[in-house]
Amino acid sequence: MTTVDGDAQQKIDAYLARLRGRLRGVNEQDVREIVEELRNHILEKVSLGGAEVTASGVGATLAALGSPEELASAYTTDSLLARAEVSRSPVRILESLFRSASLSIAGFFAFLASIVGYLLGVSFILCALLKPVHPQTAGLWILPGSADDFLISLRLGFGSAPPGARELLGWWIVPIGLVGGVGLVMLTTRFGLWCVGQYRKSRVLLPG
Amino acid sequence: MREVDPKDPETGDKWEVQLRKGCLELAILAALWSQKLYGLEILRRLESDSDLIVSEGTVYPLLSRLKVLGLVRSEWVESDAGHPRKYYALTPVGKQRVLDMSKTWARFSSSMSKLLAPLGKGK
Repeated sequence: MTTVDGDAQQKIDAYLARLRGRLRGVNEQDVREIVEELRNHILEKVSLGGAEVTASGVGATLAALGSPEELASAYTTDSLLARAEVSRSPVRILESLFRSASLSIAGFFAFLASIVGYLLGVSFILCALLKPVHPQTAGLWILPGSADDFLISLRLGFGSAPPGARELLGWWIVPIGLVGGVGLVMLTTRFGLWCVGQYRKSRVLLPG
Repeated sequence: MREVDPKDPETGDKWEVQLRKGCLELAILAALWSQKLYGLEILRRLESDSDLIVSEGTVYPLLSRLKVLGLVRSEWVESDAGHPRKYYALTPVGKQRVLDMSKTWARFSSSMSKLLAPLGKGK
């Protein structure tokens, strides 16, 4: 039976408490399992050297695991990316891309493009759905700008149309909005998943 | 464009790290092919049966990811050590995945060996 001296126990507890505190976004059941598994790993690894677990032995084992921050980052990022790829949920994909946006310029642009893609797709779908409710004002409108400029506006039908504006698609916005909107959401999801896959592959799993 | 010095040890190290990184998932799945293992056993198996130098802090998050992907499942088993151990085993999807990966590996390795054969003769 392994015995753990007071200092060693304190060191293990402090390490695992720091890890637990940084496993944000991981559900409580998974956090408990991660902490328990690592506690057992530490105890078993250290006890290979003898029956008594000492603070110095614990120190070397904890160093081999890396800092709690690095370890937590590996857990949260890896499981976040894997969940995004498995669930294909836009929320999970955006969550993963948001994480990659904080780490690289390419990640930032991928996040930005995905946000724009989803917003545009959802706007088209909403516009198509609201056309029967606001037949006079919902739709794709062309607005006169300054000089030869013009603006194209996707309006959901709340409020009145601006003066001089002309509607472009009429009732065609319903099928075009639905097909185009759903297509855009699907395309953005595929793009987002591809970016998440690239980001996962680019992550270094081994120390350099 | 930055010129790459082939004699720069860092260039070689980075390539080797990337190569090992790419093999780690296959190595872990292959280690679980014939039996279920817990984390420390997987690490020992990788150290003894392969040339992979694996960081302990890498394997556990990777196992967690493989579980989310449905390639492995886990269960806690009571042990003589006085605490339960978390054992990992391949799921049917994981078994198929490691079979596919090993076929790809065999094809890749064979074609690379052909390409590299003249280098051995030139020594």
